[in-house]
Amino acid sequence: MNEKFQNIDRIIEEKGLEKNSLIPILQAIQKEYNYLPEEVLRYLSEKTSNTPADVIGVASFYKQFRMNPAGKHMVKICVGTACHVKGSGLVLDAFRRHFELPQGVDTDKTGTYTLEKVSCLGCCTLAPVVQVDNITYGHVAPDQVDQVIKDFERQKDKKGANKVRKPDGSPVKGEIRIGLGSCCVASGSGEIRKEVESVVNQNGLRVKLKHVGCVGMCHQVPLVEIVPNEGESTLYARVKPEDVKNIIESHFSPPGIFSKLKNRLFSFVEDIQTDRNWDGIERYEINMREKPVASFLGKQLPLATEYRGMINPLDIDDYISRGGFSALKKIFETMTPDDVIEEVKNSGIRGRGGAGFPTGVKWEFVKKEKGDQKYLICNGDEGDPGAFMDRMLLESYPYRVIEGILIAAYAVGINRGFLYIRAEYPLAVQRIRQALDICREHNFLGENIRGSGFNLDLSVYEGAGAFVCGEETALIASVEGKRGFPRMRPPFPAQKGLWGFPTLVNNTETLAQISYILREGSGKFKSIGTENNSGTKVFALAGKVARGGLIEVPMGVTIRQVVEEIGGGIANGREFKAVQVGGPSGGCIPAEFADTPINYESLNEMGAMMGSGGLVVLDDTDCMVDIARYFLSFTQDESCGKCTFCRIGTKRMLDILEKITKGNGKQSDLAELERLAEWTKKGSLCGLGKTAPNPVLSTLRYYRHEYEAHINGKCPTGKCTDMIKYSVNDNCIGCTMCAQKCPVDAIPFTPHEKHSIDTELCIKCDSCRAVCPVDAIDVK
Amino acid sequence: MVKLKINNKEIIVEDGMPVMKAARQLGVDIPNLCWHDDLEHFTSCMLCLVKDNRNGRLFPSCSVSVSDGMDIITDDEEIYEARQMALELLLSEHVGDCEAPCRIACPAHMNIPLMNRYIAAGKFDEALKVVKKDIVLPSVLGRICPAPCEGACHRKTIDEPVSICLLKRFAGDEGAEPLLSKVEKTGYSAGIIGAGPAGLAAAYYLQIRGIQVALFDSEQKPGGKLRTGIDQEILPHDVLDREIEAVLATGVQFFGGEKIDTSRFDEMKNNYNVVIIATGTISENSGTFGLKTTPQGILADKNTYQTSEGNIFVTGNAIRSSRLAVRSVGQGKEVAFSVWQYLNNEPVKGEPSLFNSRFGKLLSSEFSEYLKESVSYKRIYPIDGGRNGFTAAEAVDEALRCLHCDCRAVDSCKLRIYSDRYRADQRRFKTSERRKIVKLNTHATLIYEPNKCIRCGICVRLTAKYGEKFGFTYIGRGFDVELGVPFNEDIRNALTETAIMVAEGCPVGAIELKST
Repeated sequence: MNEKFQNIDRIIEEKGLEKNSLIPILQAIQKEYNYLPEEVLRYLSEKTSNTPADVIGVASFYKQFRMNPAGKHMVKICVGTACHVKGSGLVLDAFRRHFELPQGVDTDKTGTYTLEKVSCLGCCTLAPVVQVDNITYGHVAPDQVDQVIKDFERQKDKKGANKVRKPDGSPVKGEIRIGLGSCCVASGSGEIRKEVESVVNQNGLRVKLKHVGCVGMCHQVPLVEIVPNEGESTLYARVKPEDVKNIIESHFSPPGIFSKLKNRLFSFVEDIQTDRNWDGIERYEINMREKPVASFLGKQLPLATEYRGMINPLDIDDYISRGGFSALKKIFETMTPDDVIEEVKNSGIRGRGGAGFPTGVKWEFVKKEKGDQKYLICNGDEGDPGAFMDRMLLESYPYRVIEGILIAAYAVGINRGFLYIRAEYPLAVQRIRQALDICREHNFLGENIRGSGFNLDLSVYEGAGAFVCGEETALIASVEGKRGFPRMRPPFPAQKGLWGFPTLVNNTETLAQISYILREGSGKFKSIGTENNSGTKVFALAGKVARGGLIEVPMGVTIRQVVEEIGGGIANGREFKAVQVGGPSGGCIPAEFADTPINYESLNEMGAMMGSGGLVVLDDTDCMVDIARYFLSFTQDESCGKCTFCRIGTKRMLDILEKITKGNGKQSDLAELERLAEWTKKGSLCGLGKTAPNPVLSTLRYYRHEYEAHINGKCPTGKCTDMIKYSVNDNCIGCTMCAQKCPVDAIPFTPHEKHSIDTELCIKCDSCRAVCPVDAIDVK
Repeated sequence: MVKLKINNKEIIVEDGMPVMKAARQLGVDIPNLCWHDDLEHFTSCMLCLVKDNRNGRLFPSCSVSVSDGMDIITDDEEIYEARQMALELLLSEHVGDCEAPCRIACPAHMNIPLMNRYIAAGKFDEALKVVKKDIVLPSVLGRICPAPCEGACHRKTIDEPVSICLLKRFAGDEGAEPLLSKVEKTGYSAGIIGAGPAGLAAAYYLQIRGIQVALFDSEQKPGGKLRTGIDQEILPHDVLDREIEAVLATGVQFFGGEKIDTSRFDEMKNNYNVVIIATGTISENSGTFGLKTTPQGILADKNTYQTSEGNIFVTGNAIRSSRLAVRSVGQGKEVAFSVWQYLNNEPVKGEPSLFNSRFGKLLSSEFSEYLKESVSYKRIYPIDGGRNGFTAAEAVDEALRCLHCDCRAVDSCKLRIYSDRYRADQRRFKTSERRKIVKLNTHATLIYEPNKCIRCGICVRLTAKYGEKFGFTYIGRGFDVELGVPFNEDIRNALTETAIMVAEGCPVGAIELKST
């Protein structure tokens, strides 16, 4: 026993000596040290069955691991799709300038802050998003970096009033629901919760405080819903802590206060709620029955997200009282495993992970395989930079996912399963862990589940940050504790999966829909959606749409319905240009094809793909070449580096795109790009490489003229910074606001005179244009 | 056992065998880089793509097992394109020279770095042997050659080029004439018109292949322009005579003072199996023997030097005038190769010129890497002045300045072999920035150049399989993945027992034994 490494010995003892413990051990070490110190890794390779080559190979593969110490605070800049189209690149540049970071350096000189690009924080509707430690800032503009850091400095040591409401056992007068999905938490619902608790405590209100998962209205967070026992419920959007007291007191009277007074107060609050000028607070009430919002929720069909906003994620009784686990009960009591498979096959459900393989057939394959041991993996490695469905399902409906797993495991004959969840989703990991514990307590997991004679053991495996691990063979390699290299299929995981045993890998969303199928019957599920595309699909709707958020719609609805009816059309009166479906594996569908129904086949025909379900709406200010470059830079960065076509092919495609967006493209580059795209598709080993060219091919197909414009020296939307110049036009009133904002002093301070921009100094950060009150900044 | 078709031939093989291995049983060698017979397949290089004829899909033959009824095509236009593409992608980040730039620049394609290594080791006779493989008159050329090789020398970027020309002269002057092994007479004969540098070279390289040469010249003594056009101060006749003597010593019959006119030419055509015209630059006086001409000279294939009359070849300035004697010497050697192919009833293709990877200019940040295998002092000039050549000590010291730019795997590298076969163009995917060159040479027996690595992982798999404590591992991922030693341990600690195995397993020149 080495004194110095006692903590490491403890970690090893806890996680195990085997190769498959390597990633959990590395995660624990990083938690302890904030990075992976070399001497610790050396010690690790001596103590466990992992060789130095294993340790370094794995540690250097996954994004989560750092080999160098990071600053005290992490500044995470989201560069997901939604954030990208809203200018996160400029925000990133601004932070780099703020911390004076030279190229290749991510930690400031004092070692206080480390800047990190993350592909999606899952708060797409707050884009661009920046997270400093646990505080999330939404709608960050490049010139607000100082404010963000200052605010963080103020907030970091503050501890909210930690008053806990005492349960007094008296009947409650109603319910206060607080959204605790990621968007809500990110937007400050934690603060709101504390404030609500404090108000409820101080006034001794007899109300039930309830935490609900994601409601899907991410563009209006934080949300507070007041549900009195009698009468209409009211939903408050964009609530600020200082609003809480008034809101609550307007609905619930503290005991002992005369009803007259209550009524007076109520009407007083009613008045001010409609007054938008009320003391500078940006807050407005949302009534669910008001038309736009009603259609926002009303056009949808929640199956995986059933009882959204009503159900407490971890309250198992709540889940059961709303029909939870009834499907499980039904199959245990009335169905054989084969019946269950038949039912799932009849429902026509196809894998929601993107490729759309029939789920029932997959189950049957695994069932038919002979093997002493079989495994199930719930694939929650959602890596698409514009999608967060799995995360929402795991955070908000953990029992529904677990019930789906139980049904699948029962049907196929599996007794051991894993939920592979990205470590970047700490809330999802935590909720699932808790839910698994509660399930064990209630005998929904373990031996002889609910007297059925069926056993299942489930545990969480935290992914360490690799998009490619969404591919099932890479996912399996990762669970085995190796680098996430995909391998050739066949053999399919159904034949040879985890540790060589038959393994069922299903997507989280697929599993979340299973209980509905078994409870309501395959016929009912099949009646939703269209022929060959039954059921619903969850999408993360984001980008330039008026209302973004998570939506669940029947298969076959059109893009137009989603964008216009659910999303409320394009924000800020801009023009609908295209929708990007399926993230890095998908493609862009132009507005003129908006009547395309959303199903696996029609999206493929359009050159897009269902993918994981990111749906990013683009308007006329978005440059399609830039979008292609954006996605390719993502996949290129996420390529595992195993096969030639993906490793180098994506890089060379990116080289060409960068050349084009820098204004150095040639006409012949387009043919070369197409040829590379074709071969990267044909020659790559796994789905990542095979689909990586899609964003390029689909934009080349529909927006070739934009590529050609770039080659001819012009970026039509002015997005490609290397091809544009900022200048001041005659509208200028000489107000100096731009000069004050300019971070590089490229605008001389000349009050009352027309300003000018030194294009040599200009870094195209867009601050001047954003601040100009009279549209006097031209971008050409 | 399963039955399948490969290239329309039926074969029955064991269950579970990869398609690639099954093809081997039919004698079909499917190209591969990441495959290693002792290891599990890894599916990385994608060179082994073949086609499933039933659905037209391509798949890597290393990783798919045979199954009943399979119908595989291992070569067609699409597969060719796939392999060419894969190779071009690999080459786009392969930073290294196959042959040294000096050798490529040399019109006679002489193996300069090898000569340098022998001189540096004091093995002057071996050095001359290397030279004489390509250049028949080293002492002569060592005095008159303008040395295009030195213009291409990487050392030039650091300080001054290696003094290649003088080293060659030194080898010619000081090395013992190589003893030629007895060759069996083939019974064939060749008549060569003109005993200048091209004719002498052709004569030498034919004679040592067992082809009897009759060499004719209008002058009494052989040497052509070398004898008549160069100041003796520069090229003393005794030097010329010595090297010509060595040519004739191989058995070449010389006929001086013979003017060949058209009728003599026709006679020669009858007397010899082939006739080679090496008469020098054609003029109004010189005959063209009724052959087709261009404004530059007699028309012949530019690779094989064969005329439209199959048994007549042209070489040297008779094709196109050049002031470079070394070009004529080189062409003399090359025409001999073509003639040899012709006489052996082989397709006449001329000397093969293989694919060459080239990275261009050496960067200043890379000087130190290249100097690891060299010395840092500047170019040496002969103490007695250029006319006198190097002393042995000077030659050794100067040869030590060579950077050894030629790849150690120049003959065995699979990337090179396939790039040649599939006509891959390294510059197709030219990028603005190339990887930096690194030479890790602390290991006693081998050297690692990561910039040549193709990430096939054979070294990782071998060191893991044979239980090296550190071994090799993948570091990072994606395009930037590197193969290296964990914890930045020295390569000496990474490769102990497996060193030779790994060096031999590396399909390219990234990890190579030092001794070769």
